[in-house]
Amino acid sequence: MPPRVDREKCDGCKAEEEPLCAQICPGDLMVLGENRKAHCRQPRDCWDCMSCTKACPVGAIETRTPYQLGYHVARLIPMMGTNTITWTCIDLNGKVERFRYKNRTT
Amino acid sequence: MAKTAPKIALWLWDPGGRLAAALDLEALVQKLARAKGVARAEIIIDPGSPAFLEALHADLEAGVIDRILWVGRFSDEQKRGLPAELSACGLNPYLHHWCDLEEQGLLLAGLEPGLRNRKAGVLLEMALARTRLLDPLEPLELPATDAVLILGAGVAGLHAGASLTELGKRVYLVEKESGAGGKVALLSRFFPRLCDPHCGLQFCLDKLSASPLAEFHTLSTLAALEGSPGNFQARILKNPRYVREEKCNGCGVCLAACPVDLPAGQEPGLEKIAPFLKPARKAIHPAYPLAFPAAFVVERQHCPPECRQCAMVCPTGAVDLDQPPTETVLNVGAVLVTTGWDPYPLSRVAEFGYQRYARIISNLEMEQLLGADRLGSPGVLPEFSLGDMKEIGFIQCVGSRDERHLPYCSSVCCSATLKQAVLIKEMNPQANCYVFYIDIRSPGFDEDLYRRARDLGVVFNREIPSAVDLDPGTGKLGLRVIDPSLNTPLEMNLDLLVLAGGMIPAQGTPDVAQALNLPQNSYGFFESHYQCHPEESQRTGIYVAGCAREPMKVSHAIESAHLAAMKALKYLEGRVLIEPTYPVVDKTRCDQCKRCVEECPFSAFGFDEKSFPTPDLARCRQCGNCMGLCPLGIISLQHHTIKQMAAQVEAFDVSFMGDKEPVVLAFLCKNDAYHLARGAVAAGLDVPPNFIFLEVPCAGAVNNALVADALSFGIDGVLIAGCPEDQCHYVRGSQLVQKRSGDLRDKLQKMMIEPERVRFANLEIRDSDKYVSLLHSYLGDLKTMGPNPFKI
Repeated sequence: MPPRVDREKCDGCKAEEEPLCAQICPGDLMVLGENRKAHCRQPRDCWDCMSCTKACPVGAIETRTPYQLGYHVARLIPMMGTNTITWTCIDLNGKVERFRYKNRTT
Repeated sequence: MAKTAPKIALWLWDPGGRLAAALDLEALVQKLARAKGVARAEIIIDPGSPAFLEALHADLEAGVIDRILWVGRFSDEQKRGLPAELSACGLNPYLHHWCDLEEQGLLLAGLEPGLRNRKAGVLLEMALARTRLLDPLEPLELPATDAVLILGAGVAGLHAGASLTELGKRVYLVEKESGAGGKVALLSRFFPRLCDPHCGLQFCLDKLSASPLAEFHTLSTLAALEGSPGNFQARILKNPRYVREEKCNGCGVCLAACPVDLPAGQEPGLEKIAPFLKPARKAIHPAYPLAFPAAFVVERQHCPPECRQCAMVCPTGAVDLDQPPTETVLNVGAVLVTTGWDPYPLSRVAEFGYQRYARIISNLEMEQLLGADRLGSPGVLPEFSLGDMKEIGFIQCVGSRDERHLPYCSSVCCSATLKQAVLIKEMNPQANCYVFYIDIRSPGFDEDLYRRARDLGVVFNREIPSAVDLDPGTGKLGLRVIDPSLNTPLEMNLDLLVLAGGMIPAQGTPDVAQALNLPQNSYGFFESHYQCHPEESQRTGIYVAGCAREPMKVSHAIESAHLAAMKALKYLEGRVLIEPTYPVVDKTRCDQCKRCVEECPFSAFGFDEKSFPTPDLARCRQCGNCMGLCPLGIISLQHHTIKQMAAQVEAFDVSFMGDKEPVVLAFLCKNDAYHLARGAVAAGLDVPPNFIFLEVPCAGAVNNALVADALSFGIDGVLIAGCPEDQCHYVRGSQLVQKRSGDLRDKLQKMMIEPERVRFANLEIRDSDKYVSLLHSYLGDLKTMGPNPFKI
């Protein structure tokens, strides 16, 4: 399921031509609309890689989990530290699990 | 470059045994001696003793140690002196870290010894983590010119220019009028001494014209400014004067030849926004407002076609009626903006009939009337003679302190009116002066003027007239007003009514703002911090003085001009020294999102040839907001790098308070919150031991990634404290971090973590009680929330 952009939050990366989500999307799916807010232009092509969700500097993007993994209650939320990534996994019963990984730095 | 393992010397100094009385120092030092990267760990007796320093020198020279972590409370003198002394034997001054255990509240009463020891251990581990990552740094020296650009040759610009030439700096004075002097040259006299302003102006002009360092560019405007402080390139557009300045000696032969007589008053064709009056003149005439430079000027738009009378008679051949406009590029180190003010267009205040009746004039016109009267010249208002005026009224605050016009007080109009009334009364004691006012604001010694006016019999009426009409029979002005002391309506007949209008930024201000990329406040004046650095604009190397910043009287304008000149000297010394704590962008990881370029409060970021953002180090004020706002966390202030901070966060052992108590990491702005926290501990206030704080250059330098780190390592709460929004020394650091931590809180909410774990507080430097009660209420909230879900 494609990323959902919170229009209130998205600031179009300060009116940049290519916001961070557009730069990072491996399928080149994220674009800025006329309202200078980002959206996914071809939801069916999204691979749910969550790169955009991780890259968004204002936390405006949420990836809805695909139905094979869980219905709309279920959520997977990344939080980026300097050198860590922390995942919060909420399943469709509302059970929460959290994981922290050290990032590979190049 | 391969990094060698750090070799840290940890010196713990405990004069008087204050720490030893509360902590088990021996055990602590023994434990740390085994920590990674520690080469020596000892308790020292006296850091200033020759024996200690000698041993230290020997260690440094032998390469046993390469950086020092000083633990304990050191004086500022020691913090300055020891690095300087050790740099002589090759230890870079940036390879020191100072860890004061006391300021974190370790010695506060009522803590159990075990907790004290555990917290000291955590603090030292954090200090070590940072010390390991210290890098040697060298200050930068950038080349700079010794020239300064002064925009506006009014009283402020002239004074700044004269002082700077005395200091040996090259001064370019750019003025849009044909002559120097500005508005002050239009005044008859100025207070408090009631002397002639031309005397003070001439004094400056004499100094400037005698100096080979001063250069005047009249009839000129600034088109664009490029470059950085120390090396600006200013593009100046010069309108033709039609008289060659180097040839004209001001003999005046051309005046007799010129066939065009221009009447006194506003230049036709100009927008009638301000009553900027000119005297009756020929089309060729001396420079205005002051005849400086001495060269004449031709108002070519008024010349009859094909008329070349002046060119024909000029004995020096100075007149050149085909002069083209020119463009010059000046290389300057700093810019002083002294563009001054214009009077508020009183025609907008319809109720007082300005420009409807000739007998209603503005206070600036009154100045010219007074000047003309004194000098016996017909002046700019030939139809008036002050000697005939018997009843003169003054209305104060016309348009000022009025939300429909100017919400602010222009601060000089009351004193100016008092001065005018005094001058009239002294000249003609039979004349009656009436001042209608809301409040008389005569600050400081201007009160003497008020008393003098009262003694001379000026009548003050604390009510503004409701209507003004012209009586066509008598030709006098009929005025209706309430006398508040008797509460009765009065009808008065006046010969002359003077409206004291306020000051607005000079008409050219928006163009200057655009050329300099200089923010203006809501009233159009240039933005300033007003109190901590009044002269500084939000663009480094550009200083604002005089009424371009806020309405002020002449003496204050001159003071502000000197202050600005003094501050500008930094960029006129032939070189600009840059502290090495400037931001560095890791271009290998930058994805050019340009947020730093957008959000830098001082517009210090530009682009390099590959479109990577690059800070202009001369403009940068090293606030670290770029470090805080970079979404990838790849901008770091050197010596306060994000890696160093992340290492400190990682070294924060969350278990020091035991299982039940929450622990909090606080990022404190070093401008006030940090001093506040130290002060609260020094005053022995009840600071809970659960908090450990880190000092940051500005609250805006805290990156969300660090807060995320802290939470994911199990720290229960993160407090960010900075200055109140409108007081931030770096303009919008507090505002930016508040927005970002708001975003993070929303994310936490989605992650089913209590968003209140991240808290932002605006604190002022002496808010100790507020700070302590904030800490307690925060702890209370955290206890109700329970431990951080990431705490293992």
